[in-house]
Amino acid sequence: MHEASIVSQLLHIAIAECEKNGYKKIDSIKVTIGRATGIMIDALLFAFNVLKEGTLASDSSLIVEEIPVRAMCNDCGEKIESNENYIIFECPKCGSFSINLISGKELNITEMEVSDEA
Amino acid sequence: MKLKVTTKILDANDRIAEENKKMFKEAGVYVINLMSSPGAGKTTLLEKTISAIKDKVKVGVIEGDITGTNDAERIDKLGVPVIQINTEGACHLDANMIAEAAKELPLKDLDLLFIENVGNLVCPAEFKVGEDVKVMILSLTEGDDKPLKYPLMFQESSVLIINKIDLKDFLDVDVEKIKKDAKFLNPNIKIFEVSCKTGKGLDEWTNFLLTSIS
Repeated sequence: MHEASIVSQLLHIAIAECEKNGYKKIDSIKVTIGRATGIMIDALLFAFNVLKEGTLASDSSLIVEEIPVRAMCNDCGEKIESNENYIIFECPKCGSFSINLISGKELNITEMEVSDEA
Repeated sequence: MKLKVTTKILDANDRIAEENKKMFKEAGVYVINLMSSPGAGKTTLLEKTISAIKDKVKVGVIEGDITGTNDAERIDKLGVPVIQINTEGACHLDANMIAEAAKELPLKDLDLLFIENVGNLVCPAEFKVGEDVKVMILSLTEGDDKPLKYPLMFQESSVLIINKIDLKDFLDVDVEKIKKDAKFLNPNIKIFEVSCKTGKGLDEWTNFLLTSIS
């Protein structure tokens, strides 16, 4: 449900960035979303298509890169990758609780395509 | 034309949350962000907790609801300062709402501030408001499948209060499974089993709370 708040922040940042660099229109916005953020991609895209209306981003598309949960065990070195939507605390190989989280909590804008023509 | 951006989407909220945290720290007030599904017993737990500790510490409350002042009226009866936020549809409180509400509270006179979030097991987990600690309630009637269905809330919370424990014998709910799954998601989570109706377990919780503040 909070995807709308996230999209509203995302558009705010993207529009400010576009104006700051002197461009008139946003063609696409690329975001990375970690699986453990609890964000529903469908809800995010739906909110984006509603909230972009009437802004510099009204013709733009949202490109989502989903990042799996990745971690490494500090004790046995096991590399862990999971498609579940939560962080892993216990090493599935040796049972250690000393885990170094590498990815899965991302909620970032990484790149935008912008142009001069309005 | 490609623009490289690399900005955290919730950066603005996180920045305000940090400012709130600083403001609370300077005022010497310990802040708890209380979260749960609707009807799990947030306001009732607050009533019981505040009644038990208000002679020892000075407590304030920020009530978050989509609409209405019912919860703030209940807290007001206890004689502690309370501010009601109506989010007008938003499913969670954010840092900016708390910054505005905090202006209305005598922060310097308080030891402890409860922020009762909007009833929702999903969204509030994502938004920092400047709290010292996140506390969540799960009531038994919600079922023992909830930790694995709503993992983020359990991973973000430092304390899990299992409420309505008096109903244990009447429900097909496995309390041990709730605890096991919560610990799987968050090995450091502190768990209390309470009944706001009978008072069971409330002493352990309030003692823990008083130790955390001091």
